[in-house]
Amino acid sequence: MATESGDWQAAPFDQAQGDLSKVERSDLELVRRVRKGDPSAFHGLVDRYARFLYSLAISLTSSNADAEDLVQETLAGAFRGLGSFEGRSSLKTWLARILMRQNARRHRSAGSRPAEVPLDEAVEAEDARPGVASGRPGHDRAWPSKDIDLRLDIMAAIRALRPDSREVVVLREIEGLSYDEIAEVLDVPRGTVESRLFRARRQMQQRLKEYLE
Amino acid sequence: MNDCPEAVRLGAYHDGELPPADCRRLEEHLLDCPACAAEMARLRRLSGLLAGARPAEAPAAVMVRLHRSADQQPRLAGVLRLAETFAAIAAMVLLASVIWLLELPAARQASAQTAAWEAVAAASPDSRQGGPDQLAQVIEEVTGGGRP
Repeated sequence: MATESGDWQAAPFDQAQGDLSKVERSDLELVRRVRKGDPSAFHGLVDRYARFLYSLAISLTSSNADAEDLVQETLAGAFRGLGSFEGRSSLKTWLARILMRQNARRHRSAGSRPAEVPLDEAVEAEDARPGVASGRPGHDRAWPSKDIDLRLDIMAAIRALRPDSREVVVLREIEGLSYDEIAEVLDVPRGTVESRLFRARRQMQQRLKEYLE
Repeated sequence: MNDCPEAVRLGAYHDGELPPADCRRLEEHLLDCPACAAEMARLRRLSGLLAGARPAEAPAAVMVRLHRSADQQPRLAGVLRLAETFAAIAAMVLLASVIWLLELPAARQASAQTAAWEAVAAASPDSRQGGPDQLAQVIEEVTGGGRP
């Protein structure tokens, strides 16, 4: 393994550490330890970011199992790629970017990009997702029934968006990333983020108008 | 739906992503444009709804499986690197084989030409009769037989 043999070429992230937050410094320290072969350091990264990645994956995939697979693939890709992580972006956006690419790759290998889903089909799919509609303890989270309806409608409305609109809505509205971070994750200009968000929010307003009046 | 041209910037204003000067301009516009003001209110409500719909946290069992998978990464990465090394060696062998196969017809043709020349030379009556004596004579003529 790369970390055991210690033969990864250290990317020059020392020079990028000028103006970093405490979390980012701590992330870079974890990355450095992983590179040196410290097995607990990678678990530290999993502890820190797996929940964020899982939340992102749940919003982008059609089943909890797919979401878990996607996070596993993302973590595997991250482990292999940590040697080339240069610290120019935050570890969080770097991981989100890997997840987005893995998600696109999964859909390519399955024969298609995630398509825009008709709203009624999206509602049915959300309804069938284990643990989402049940509201029972032990199944994700116990949701009161009116909140379940709302949540189902919101998730269905998100799933009914075009894939590029869905990504910006999830990254901004659910995960709270800034426009610059979203641009970095999706590898598009900031202006594209703004225009995609505008289009996506218009569609969401239409689809959820009964909750917005 | 709101057709005001300023509507495209409402989202960025709502997200705190507009420069201060643009913010002030848009705030003045909102006082005069009921359509944009209404859309701004809808944007706020939409964000409120979406924030409340954040997916559930990864269940503990999922976290356990993710950590287990993290444990396997060093071994998997090792296997992958080994596979990459083998693939690189196989590619080099394949390349060498292709080059050899491409050069093979030319080598065969040269060899066939030499064989034809030798066959003609062997069939010549001079070569059958002359042989080593003729060669010795030629050498003597060239070197002068060792005489000064």
